[in-house]
Order: sequence, then C-alpha cells, then structure tokens
Amino acid sequence: MTRPDGGPRADANGRLEDAVADHLRVELVRFVRALRRAGASVPANAATTAGRSLAVVGLGDRDRVRSALRAGLLADRADFETFDRLFAEFWRRLAAGPGDGDSPLDDVDGALAPFADPADEAEESDDATDGDDGGETDGDSARSLAESFAAAVTDESPDGGDEDEEAAARYSPTGAAEAVDGGFPLDSADLDDTFAALTRALADVRGRRFGPGDDDPDVRRALRTSAATGGAVLSIPQRERRRTAVRALFVVDVSRSVLDAVDRGFLVDFLRRARAAWDDSRVFFFDEDVREVTDAVDAHTAAAALDALDAAEARWGGGTRIGDSLARLRETAPEAVDRHTVVFVVSDGLEMGDVAGLERELSWLRRRADRVLWLNPLATAAEYEPTARGMAAALPFVDGLFAFAGERDVREMARQLCRQGAGGRVGYEFDPRRTAAATEGTAATDANGRPTARSTRETRGTRTNDP
Amino acid sequence: MTDRPTTAFADVTEAEIRAAFEAEDYVAEDDIVTTVLLALRLGKPLLVEGEPGAGKTELAKVLAARFGSELVRLQCYEGLTAEHALYEWNYAKQLLAVQSGGAGPGGGGNAATDADLGPGPDADPRDPSVFTEEYLLERPLLRALRSDADRPPVLLVDEIDRADDEFEALLLEVLSDFQVSVPELGTVRAARPPVVVVTSNRTRALSDALKRRCLYLHVAPPSFEKETTILERKVPELDGLVASELAAMAARLREEPLRKPPGAAETIDWARAVAALRDGGGGGDAGGVGADIADSAAEDGADEELSPETVRNTLGCLLKEVEDVERVDDRLLEELLAAAERARSEA
Repeated sequence: MTRPDGGPRADANGRLEDAVADHLRVELVRFVRALRRAGASVPANAATTAGRSLAVVGLGDRDRVRSALRAGLLADRADFETFDRLFAEFWRRLAAGPGDGDSPLDDVDGALAPFADPADEAEESDDATDGDDGGETDGDSARSLAESFAAAVTDESPDGGDEDEEAAARYSPTGAAEAVDGGFPLDSADLDDTFAALTRALADVRGRRFGPGDDDPDVRRALRTSAATGGAVLSIPQRERRRTAVRALFVVDVSRSVLDAVDRGFLVDFLRRARAAWDDSRVFFFDEDVREVTDAVDAHTAAAALDALDAAEARWGGGTRIGDSLARLRETAPEAVDRHTVVFVVSDGLEMGDVAGLERELSWLRRRADRVLWLNPLATAAEYEPTARGMAAALPFVDGLFAFAGERDVREMARQLCRQGAGGRVGYEFDPRRTAAATEGTAATDANGRPTARSTRETRGTRTNDP
Repeated sequence: MTDRPTTAFADVTEAEIRAAFEAEDYVAEDDIVTTVLLALRLGKPLLVEGEPGAGKTELAKVLAARFGSELVRLQCYEGLTAEHALYEWNYAKQLLAVQSGGAGPGGGGNAATDADLGPGPDADPRDPSVFTEEYLLERPLLRALRSDADRPPVLLVDEIDRADDEFEALLLEVLSDFQVSVPELGTVRAARPPVVVVTSNRTRALSDALKRRCLYLHVAPPSFEKETTILERKVPELDGLVASELAAMAARLREEPLRKPPGAAETIDWARAVAALRDGGGGGDAGGVGADIADSAAEDGADEELSPETVRNTLGCLLKEVEDVERVDDRLLEELLAAAERARSEA
C-alpha cells in the first residue's frame, strides 16, 4: 500500500487515503494479534499476505474480505470459529473509520483492549495472579509428591466442610463416576497384547531396526543384489530406521472425580508400562497445579507408585484447573513436548478455571505435539456426551477423545488407532460398544460392564452441575 | 528469499474464475472463488484441506482445464522421495554411454579401452557428458518448473499429508521461490511460476513452514442446497426431485458419527448408480441380485420416491466402511427416508 512515488501527498484526498491506509494497517495488526492471543495459529508472515489480499479484493464486500483474510491469516480449520468471532469486531472497527476516537496508532503495541471482552481481561488478570501464586509453589517440585499434595489438601480445607455435598457439585453431569479402585491387579498380563498394539499404532519415532528408506546406503543389500549382475553394483538401495518407538507425555487429572471413575491399579500399570516400553515418557499429575511424578511412577514398585497416586489425589472440591496446569507445564517443562510426542490428557474435562485459557493452552499443545489424545473415564458411559464446558472447549484441539477406565478401553483405542490412524476419525463416538448399547437401550451398564451415569445418579442421588 | 517471478494470472478477474467453475460444472461458494482469485493474482500456492470427496482435487483439474494449462499431478504417499518427485538420472543410459565410450569420463575414446580402464582417478564424476539433459528424467516438480508452455501448468500436489515430513521440507523451496536446486545442473527456477494446489485430508498436521507459504482454503462438506445443485449438474439424467432426496439423505447421514462421512464424490456415485438402475429398468441384467436391485429400482419410476430397498441396496456407493453400513439400521433408514420425503415436499 505504499505510494508509487514514495513521497507525501499534498492534497486533501491524499491525506485521507493515508489516514485510511494507516487505519486499515492498524486494524489488521490488531486483528492478527487478537487472533494469536485467542490461540489461533497465525503464521509469522500472515499479516503481510492478508494485506496484499485486501489490496486485491478491496473493502467493498464484507464476506469477500472475510474470505480473503481467512485464506491469508489462518492455516487450520479449528481456528475458524475464533476467526469469525473476532472478525466481527475487526469489521466494526474498520467501518468506524480512522477518525473514531484516539489515534489508532496509540495502542497498537498495547494490550489490544478493544478486542478483548472486559470480563476476559478481568479473568486474565486473575489468572496472572494465580500464575504468580503458582510461582510460589515452585519449590514444591523439589518436595516429594505426597508432601506437596498433602500440604495443598491441608491448606485448602481449614473448615473441613461437608465433603459429600461438595463432591456432588463437582462431578460432571455427563458420565458415570463409579469407584472402581482396587479392582485391577498391578502389572496385569492382560494388558500385554493390548499395550503392544497401542504401541504399534502410535509408533512415530524411529527405533533401532532398519527398513527401506532413504537415510543411509544399504551396503549389504547392494552387494546381495549385485550377485545377479555379476558383481556390478547398478544401484545402491537406501535404508532408514523403522518407526517403532513412541514418545509420550501424560498429563493426569488427579481429582477425585477422575480417580473414582478409573481403576487406579490399571492407571498405574498403564503409566508404568509406558515408562518402560516407550522411548521417553514423562508423567505429570495436576489438579490446581501440576507436578512431575515420572520418578514416582518409574522408580519403585507398582505398589509404591499406587501409594504415590493415592497421596497425590486432590481432596473433594479441590478443583481442577486444566488450563492453568497446562500453562504451568508450558512454562516449566516446554521440552516435554515436541513434534514426535503423543500427549495423553487423562481427565474428565471438568474445568474450574478459565475456559479461554484452556483453549489457549491446548492450542499451543496441539501445535507443538504430534498428536493429543484425551482419555476420559466418563466416556465409558453409553450416553456420555462431551458437554462439560472444559471438555467441550477442548474437543476441537484433540485428535481423539477415548473412554479410559480399564483394559477394554485401551484395547478399543488401540483397535481404532491401528485401523484409522491417529489422524483419522477415532474416538468414543466410534466405539462399537457404545453404538451397541445405544441401539439395545441397555444404558444400565457402561462399556466395561459398570453402572452408567444414569444408574449411578439413581443410586447416589443428585450428582450434577458442571460449574 | 529471492524475488518472486511474475505470476501469469496477475490480471485474472473474479468473473473469469466464476465462469471457469461454471463451465466445468464445479459448484463453488464465494469463499472458494475469492481464495482462488487471490492465489492466482498473488501467485501463492493454495493449500486446500477438507474431507475426502469434498472436491479438492477437482478444483485443480477445473483450473487446468479452464485456463488451458497442463495439469502436473504429484500423488503423495509415504516414502515419496526426491527421485520420484523431482528428478532422477537415467543411470542405465549413463552406464551404456560410458561403456560405449561415447560419453562420460574420458568419453570419445576407444570403447574397449574405456570400458576396460574405467574412469581414471582424475575423472570428474559430474562430467557434463553424462549429466546433461539427455540423461535427465524429469519428475512432476521439475517438469512443472521447467514448463515452457504458453500457459503455466497447474501443479497438483495431492494428499500431501500422506508424505513424510522430509518430503514436506523438500517442497518448501518450490512453494516459496518456485525453484529447486539440482546439484549437477544448478538452480532451476521457473520462468513462469506454476499454479500450485496442495491438498490435504488432515490425517496429520502439516508443518508451519509449509502453511506459511500457502493461502489456506477449507472445503467443507456441501450443504443440502449445494449438493442438490451438484447432482443436478453432474447427473443430469436423474430427476431433480430424486436428486434432492439423495442430497437430503446424504446430509442426514453426515450427522451420524460415521467412520467415513460421504463426500460429494460419493453422493455423485450414488446418484449415478440410482440413475443407472432407473434407466436400465432391470432389463439389462440377465438375473441374479443385480436384476433384483434393478427391478426394485425400476419400480420407483423416473421421478418417483426412492424405495427403502433401493436405498438399502445402493448404500455401498455412499458408505465405504462396514461399520458405517451396519450403522444404517431400520430406525436410521426410516429417518433417512423421512428426510428425503421432506426434501421432496419442499422442492
């Protein structure tokens, strides 16, 4: 949008054009920054491309401008919703013209307040405070898992309270929460084949064995094939290491609503197998903050690991701040995730914090990781729907949402991933056990044969209300 | 980044693109037209994502056909390498040339002597006598860059998500500068950049580097109205009312959590199957199951409502996974037919 002569325009029309061009540039920059703040993946050169696009299509038609900006600024369908939401504000400000209020250049480098909802700003402020508080607990990571969480429990429940009441308010309304701990033997042999199948389905990191490829010359094969041509080597086959290894990050929600719904013995066994069999797996527990427990899961016996899990369990009503926990994870251990990492989030998606923050962090995680799989114990119920607000917000950012309460769930997950690939259409909604239960109307038991949410609610009374 | 060559479509208009789509019976919404216009005028590669069967590949074919350009298609797959995508030397021909003494290191001498001695220690392995155009095998990327046709070709890099990360990296130089580096020949740069269309089924995340170089277009599954229009254009032999019925049922099926939701391509196949059955009237088949299906379909008449039997018997054209077919039980079939009935009554 620079002028051909590069010099100042002397006439009034020229000044007006300059003002409009400045206004457009500023609003475009605001828009791009607002998109990034909202977690959208906007390439670094996108604003330039978008500006050139606007120069082609003009500003006469709102839909055309939206299409042009979307094509230039975005690179992922998942960001369309965020884009459309922010575009309305962009268009309103653009239409208001350069003379609206203060100089548009004044707050370009500011906090983009006009794009943000004041309530969101307040929440972000609160979040920042929370983050600071979280910072004070940095030292906790040096303490033992049991100590740190035990301290949290003690500090946060001075009055004791009515735990049953609190629990009733914390459970997600969309799935079962039946206590099942103690029902699964540690180091179950049943999990061997299932886990091996899951490993095959997820393997994306090169292991030790070689296969056809293009990394190195395969001298042995070249010599072998040269026998057919009298020793003349006509071509040199290449080889590379086969993708047989998995790198994983586990982020495990240790709130009571989760640990009551998943078999703890199974959970510990699963984590320990991942540590043992996969290339480099790290395990973090979280409720309102996040702690790395890789050593606790890895170093001792299975029973000791189970003790650690018990010690880590958050109290009733302790709350789960998934977004904040992921933010802490990003700040303190960003190296735990790279483009070969499969991230497993084990949680019921009951977010007690800021949902926008959760979206932001998951967007980061999704961009950085190879894939993100969400394991939800509540999804074992045939009537489960991801309507809890945290789960609903997280859904666009995950490659698959799977039921996760026992060995049969892992088997189904492995089956789907083997067949469809992690990028395919996989998840709880494709679980044939769920379809069968829905068809037969047998919602009394879940996919693992346990009572479903409906029956649980009937026996336990009200268990509702995602906050 | 070097200066970009001038795009050959810098003066293309929106009306011309709309006309191109119309002429090829490609039903394109405004956002598709706008994005294609930008890709052509800015000379940027276009990354098209969407469900299989949404018409991504067809988009490139339409552009090539309408603008009189050659369509150079590179179908990606796991393990795709530079040799298959870019260029390769004709090793057998080189070997024969060296052995015959007509070319290669020390070329021009006595054939027997050269063959016996082989290349000497001072021979340049990149002797131009065997690393020339004569021995070069162009693969799609290089062919698209070196095209000297009047109109630049349309380079379709199809299903990039099937290829490895390494191939994506190889593609970056082409996408950003329309050039590739061939060690033996130097840098090959397109005099007139091809129109590049990269498609992806979103089976894996693409690299930021690739996305940064492209304009982005997501082709959503067609709406009921759009799909009806598509069927009317692509399957003109089918009655319009029946087309709306089929489109309504396809739209209803997409609401189900299917393994592979039907795309527009599958709906077209389905419509053609139904049209063929109605047209054949069952007379073309000597007997067996095919005759039964045709008979049941023939009973529908050219513009009569689709019968449950016809829908059931032809679902294989629409659904490609056994689990998806099994999902269509009696209850869902009733809902499909109800949707079809509504569409017919509102048409």
